[in-house]
Amino acid sequence: MIIMSMSVNILRLWVLAALLTMATVLSACGPGQPPERARPQGPPPADADVSRMPPGQQGGVFFGTLGGMPRTLNPLQAGEDASSAMALSRLLEGLTRFDSAREEVVPGLAKSWDVGADQKTFTFHLRRGVQWSDGHPFTADDVVFTFQAIYDDRYPNRQKSELSVNGKPFEVEKIDDYTVRFRTADIYAPFLLYVGTSIMPRHKLIQAFDDGSLMRAWSVRDAQFTPEKIVSTGPLILERFRPAERIVYAANPHYYRIDSAGQRLPYIDRFIERIVNGQQASTLAFAYGQSDYENVEVRNVGWVKRNAERHGFTVYDRGPSQSTNFIWFNQNPGSNARGEPYVEPYKLAWFKDSRFRQAISYGIDREGIVQGVLLGRGLPLWGPVSPANRSWYNPDVQRYPFDPQRARALLREAGFTWDAAGKLHDRDGHAVAFSLSTNEDNEVRQAIGLVFIENMKQLGIDVRLQPLDFNTFVGKVMSSFDYEAGLLGLTGSWDPQGGWSVYHSAGRLHMWSPGQKTPQTPWEARIDELMQLQLRTLDVEARRRYVFEVQDILAREQPLIYTVTVNSYEGLQNRWRNLDPPQMGTLVWNYDEMWAETLLLR
Amino acid sequence: MIRVSVMTSSMFKELLRRPAGLTVFIVLVLFYLVAIFADFLSPYSVTDQDLQHTFHPPTALLWKDGGLHVQRYEMQSRDLSGYTPVVGEGSPLRFFAPGYEYHLLGLVPMSHHLITVDGPDRLYLLGSDQVGRDIYSRLLHGTRISLSIGLIGIAVSMCIGFIVGGLAGYFGGAFDNIAMRLTEFLMAIPGLYLLLALRGAFAESFTPTQMFFLIVFILSFIGWSGTARIIRGMTLSLRNRQFVMAAEVMGQSSWKILWKHVLPNVFSYLIVAATISIPGYILGEAALSFLGLGIQDPSVSWGLMLSQAQNPQVFMEGYWWFLVPGLAIFVTVISFNVLGDVLRDIIDPKQKFLRS
Repeated sequence: MIIMSMSVNILRLWVLAALLTMATVLSACGPGQPPERARPQGPPPADADVSRMPPGQQGGVFFGTLGGMPRTLNPLQAGEDASSAMALSRLLEGLTRFDSAREEVVPGLAKSWDVGADQKTFTFHLRRGVQWSDGHPFTADDVVFTFQAIYDDRYPNRQKSELSVNGKPFEVEKIDDYTVRFRTADIYAPFLLYVGTSIMPRHKLIQAFDDGSLMRAWSVRDAQFTPEKIVSTGPLILERFRPAERIVYAANPHYYRIDSAGQRLPYIDRFIERIVNGQQASTLAFAYGQSDYENVEVRNVGWVKRNAERHGFTVYDRGPSQSTNFIWFNQNPGSNARGEPYVEPYKLAWFKDSRFRQAISYGIDREGIVQGVLLGRGLPLWGPVSPANRSWYNPDVQRYPFDPQRARALLREAGFTWDAAGKLHDRDGHAVAFSLSTNEDNEVRQAIGLVFIENMKQLGIDVRLQPLDFNTFVGKVMSSFDYEAGLLGLTGSWDPQGGWSVYHSAGRLHMWSPGQKTPQTPWEARIDELMQLQLRTLDVEARRRYVFEVQDILAREQPLIYTVTVNSYEGLQNRWRNLDPPQMGTLVWNYDEMWAETLLLR
Repeated sequence: MIRVSVMTSSMFKELLRRPAGLTVFIVLVLFYLVAIFADFLSPYSVTDQDLQHTFHPPTALLWKDGGLHVQRYEMQSRDLSGYTPVVGEGSPLRFFAPGYEYHLLGLVPMSHHLITVDGPDRLYLLGSDQVGRDIYSRLLHGTRISLSIGLIGIAVSMCIGFIVGGLAGYFGGAFDNIAMRLTEFLMAIPGLYLLLALRGAFAESFTPTQMFFLIVFILSFIGWSGTARIIRGMTLSLRNRQFVMAAEVMGQSSWKILWKHVLPNVFSYLIVAATISIPGYILGEAALSFLGLGIQDPSVSWGLMLSQAQNPQVFMEGYWWFLVPGLAIFVTVISFNVLGDVLRDIIDPKQKFLRS
């Protein structure tokens, strides 16, 4: 029987997978101690950045795990996937850095900057004496080269739109070897944040730039066979790159940051990232003391904590995360190539009625989801910004606490009625039912979907859960639009401009009806206007006012019905010192300042 | 057909006479009764959630005030099923009392249940899952899918197998040639990839339950080739026997010969083959649900319930009650295998042919 032989095959696969996991685990706990790394201690750069943290002691290895392999280390392409962006962020620095703990932009490769009176001219003074990891001096030429490459039409990349105002690129001008002047076409609020994009080494990439092969430079192949070609200004350099196995970084001997005792950062000798197959394997490795750091999913916190004492780690409750989960209805009024509307017209009429959406919002038991599904480790979410983002979270948006009575009142007001069996019908007698699509690989999200179905049953609405492959689902949301309702999550960014593509009616992630030519509704037009206003001022208070109003409108209209935000839990081995936990973002953001009491994992 | 019915009834009597046969027969009858009366037997509907009692361990029962009560629990922590019993507190159990409404056999509206709880406490005979649904109720309802899947599967594969195999063996020649090449073609189709492709192509236009039955139907449709080849071999040897030749000489039609003379002689094989291939479908359902290709929430099947035990939380925090569906699959598969074995013992073809 085919089925039978198939189940045997699956069993075999499982045994194989288990063996493989064991093999990787065993190979990791074997005593293969990496050789000590003697670091040449040349004089630090004249303008070295001095860490605020107390001095520590050099040496040690940081063991991490990585869920996916970077697909490239090319600075122009790395933004496409998270693992590539993460790998590159360890190697290349920008003019400015974001200090997660203080939530402000601080000097990076530039030691200071002046803002012109017109608020559109920025003069950056670069640190003197900074060198690339191969010893080549870092100068204004590298900065000019980087922006030249980003704006070059031969090399399409994601940074370009963030580094443009109204589609016009910044003017970048070299004043002398250590001074660069930027001019923006208009006032651009997140300028200092975005200008901190990775600066590329001109001396290594100018040839590829000239002959048009820049997109192929610094590929995975280069990383694997000639890692020394990939030079860095960051805390680490690439030492070894083994696809599907591990990435080994070593300390950059020319890093520009030092501690108050004059020792060159980072303290660690090496940073080793092992590739593991999926989140569960990664959590297991951490729970048994085989890695230093892990982002622990809420449902695993209980049992991981039990191992804390035996394996010498601590699981930190980091409070609400930046992640959001929301349900939304497809409000796209268009039709497909065959002339069929994306959404049945009578259903579109429900979805477009804000009272319908508010009623649904009142019908969701968010507190129940937090208690039951998240085991109390989360918060109900009322707007697009999570409370984790202290700077930009508006606490006073309208809330929709679980209240089926109010939901029913709103539905009645909108012309809906209930039949004898308690099923909801619209004005024209159509039974209210829709399918809710979500990605099948997220267990918490599926559980939220199950609770939502039961909640809607109470209102007489039939909801069908349709789990889809993630890419299929995203395809429906972004291009084919053939779905009724969706359940997804986004991870917010710190700066409100990061939400542009969600809030603005022309944005690609304006889920309920993306890429509009002109805004469909007055309130969407108002949001567009506010998003423009917040972009055109450097006054933080004014920006906050605009952004708060955007959040107010979204909470009132409920185009995205926000459900819950999940708390973040991070585990770290106890041997690490100099932690500087930020409110938002990862605990190990300052790994260059962290040092280990014992050099290796126990 | 008289011979077939006589044969089955004598086979059935012989089955009940053997202890192993009697045991598994009773077990399977019980399982099918559970499937039919699942709504009556379960205290809660399959989708009934209680978010205050997620991952609840099985509840204890206590005797109080002259009646059975379900133990009351207090939540101590959200982890490690941190519910502790409140001594001496509980809610009384009611028998044959009204609960949620359902249709018996899909027809008769009813609301009476074997056990219900009168009070705020929940009865979790086998614990609760991640949204506080009763695993016992879900297990009973899961029986329906898991047991019917095998029957649908063998019904399709045995019918096609017999018809194609019988005709090929009886007529031989070009028909035989074509039919056997077709079976070889079907045997070469990799089932798992076919499933993945089907799932990708149809995921949107069917509900998950329709989708699942479609998949099983298609699987059994390509799974009949093994049966067909054996039936062909048996028919080939039968058609040279005197009683078949006699029937031919007397001018009986081919269909009649197949039906009256060939079928009764291969029937015993068909029964044994069918019984033994049922566990394949049950395990197949479990495997498909494990891969996310089978039944999907909020519907329920044993395989789906078992796939929820994949989460490391279940093992690490000792939620053993998530593994009960695995036990149910185990018992069912063993029962069908033993039944098949006993039947094969009973109708050892040599003895049978000697007697007739």
